[in-house]
Amino acid sequence: MSYARSMKPLFYIILLNAVGAALISISGGARSPEALVLTGAICVVSIICYTVVSFAGFGDPYLFLIISMLGSVGGIMQLRIRTAYGVRQLKWFLLGTACYFLAMLIFLAMRKILPRLTPLYVGVSVALYAATLVFGRTSHGSRNWIVIGGDNGLSIQPSELIRIFFVLTLAAIFTAQPDKNSKKKKKADGDKPFGLRPNAARLLSASAVTAVNLGFLLLQREWGIALLFFATYFFFIYVYGASRGYLLLNAAAAVGVGAVSLKYMGHIQTRVEAWLNPFADASGKGYQITQSLFAIGEGGFVGRGIGEGSVYFIPEVHSDFIFSAICEEMGILGGFAIVMLYFVLTYRGFKIALACTNRFNKAVAFGLSLMLGLQSFIIIGGVTKMIPLTGITLPFISYGGSSMLTTFAAYGILQAISALKEETTDEL
Amino acid sequence: MGEILSKILTYIFVIIIYLFIYAIIRMIYFDIRAMNRKKSGGLADAYLKLINLRRDLDFNIDESYELEDDEVIGRGAKCTLRLPDKYLSVRHCRIYKADGSFFIEDLDSTNGTFLNGDELGDEAVELIDGDKISIGRLNFIFVMPKGVDE
Repeated sequence: MSYARSMKPLFYIILLNAVGAALISISGGARSPEALVLTGAICVVSIICYTVVSFAGFGDPYLFLIISMLGSVGGIMQLRIRTAYGVRQLKWFLLGTACYFLAMLIFLAMRKILPRLTPLYVGVSVALYAATLVFGRTSHGSRNWIVIGGDNGLSIQPSELIRIFFVLTLAAIFTAQPDKNSKKKKKADGDKPFGLRPNAARLLSASAVTAVNLGFLLLQREWGIALLFFATYFFFIYVYGASRGYLLLNAAAAVGVGAVSLKYMGHIQTRVEAWLNPFADASGKGYQITQSLFAIGEGGFVGRGIGEGSVYFIPEVHSDFIFSAICEEMGILGGFAIVMLYFVLTYRGFKIALACTNRFNKAVAFGLSLMLGLQSFIIIGGVTKMIPLTGITLPFISYGGSSMLTTFAAYGILQAISALKEETTDEL
Repeated sequence: MGEILSKILTYIFVIIIYLFIYAIIRMIYFDIRAMNRKKSGGLADAYLKLINLRRDLDFNIDESYELEDDEVIGRGAKCTLRLPDKYLSVRHCRIYKADGSFFIEDLDSTNGTFLNGDELGDEAVELIDGDKISIGRLNFIFVMPKGVDE
């Protein structure tokens, strides 16, 4: 690949940050030198990381580029909404980069033992859930925060971290070797695209693990993540060859749980009503979604201009509803660009999974890219009233430290898997 | 004034995102192209070109297959060139290079190997550029562009 061509995306990232910084300073009037320094730091970090990844042979060079782009757009939007949010978001982005490479190195170092640690993953997940339930703090009807050190202390959302453990658990279950002492068989299985058809035991243990996770999430009223986990699990059992009957059974169970909660939980009822007919109660139940739709409509095709929209009418605009703000200020054209970025990112993830030769790594790559792709779909679908709205973050753009760091770690694992792929190709 | 300026800058902002996506997709495209060439070595002397319409076949198949020095074609997992046509035998036929020419031989296949319409017997037959090879439901043209001269 020519040097000029491979450097072009980096150039666009820098250009975007420059234009973004100009926009922030002419519109908000809130000129923060710290914000400018951090925007510059993002550019520098992107250049360094991209160079390291592509020239040190750490596998796929596109992942980090796309993440940098998403993070830059997110940073600019956060700065535009509130300088303090933006500054913190950009700091998290830089910290996230460290997480990315840390997760990559940990995965590379531990890749031999990771497939055998299923009990550990489940144990850590359960411990985190328990800690959330005991020490947790309720916000917006969900008990999903742990606050360390007083009111202004560090608040973390353990369910964001559990996402990674959940994928690792499923991957370990579905690629577990029934016969541990026959190494020959192991090799033969590796040739097949997704391994042998799983036996009933594997499916059942996957279902059991998912049920435990969903149980805790529903206790915390984390419907967004619960939906995400279930969808990931469902695709997993489909890919790993569950029979049609078992798929139907799972779908029926999900519908059953949905129907029961619709009947007995006001929380869910409100959500569904707001989804089906938000304008019936536009100032009450449907407030969030109608404001989001107004904003998207207001933006039109090309948007009102960054800093010109009235984004403060949108509730939770910095986290769950950031996509509505993007659509208002950059238009549907800008919103579509963001969707395309997620599309390319998820495509790269699946590509890594397809190219991977190790069964466990393949499953992890598949699960992580699937989960993060679904996450973007769930929240973008939610704020555009395509599916019922469930609170979940938009990866790399929504405000939030836990989400940012763990999403970075997830992609760091993907990066590690792609690096391994290149390693094996060279050996052959 | 500020409003117009920020509008224009926003357009530029969005256009940059699209340019970025374009650049990335272009890079991926060139990457895949380079990889495909690398996979086949880029030096193969000959290849098989499929002449069936791919949409008439109910399985995945490539438009062409570059030939290495020794290829066993068939349905089985151990074949060097594995084609999922159910009318092929597990080990159907073999194409190999000897003394600068390519030869084809049938490996006792059930449905036979046909060269320009004639069924192959027990002996290997030399292939020349433009020969038509029919196995199972598949028809290939044997292409050797440069001729093999050592």
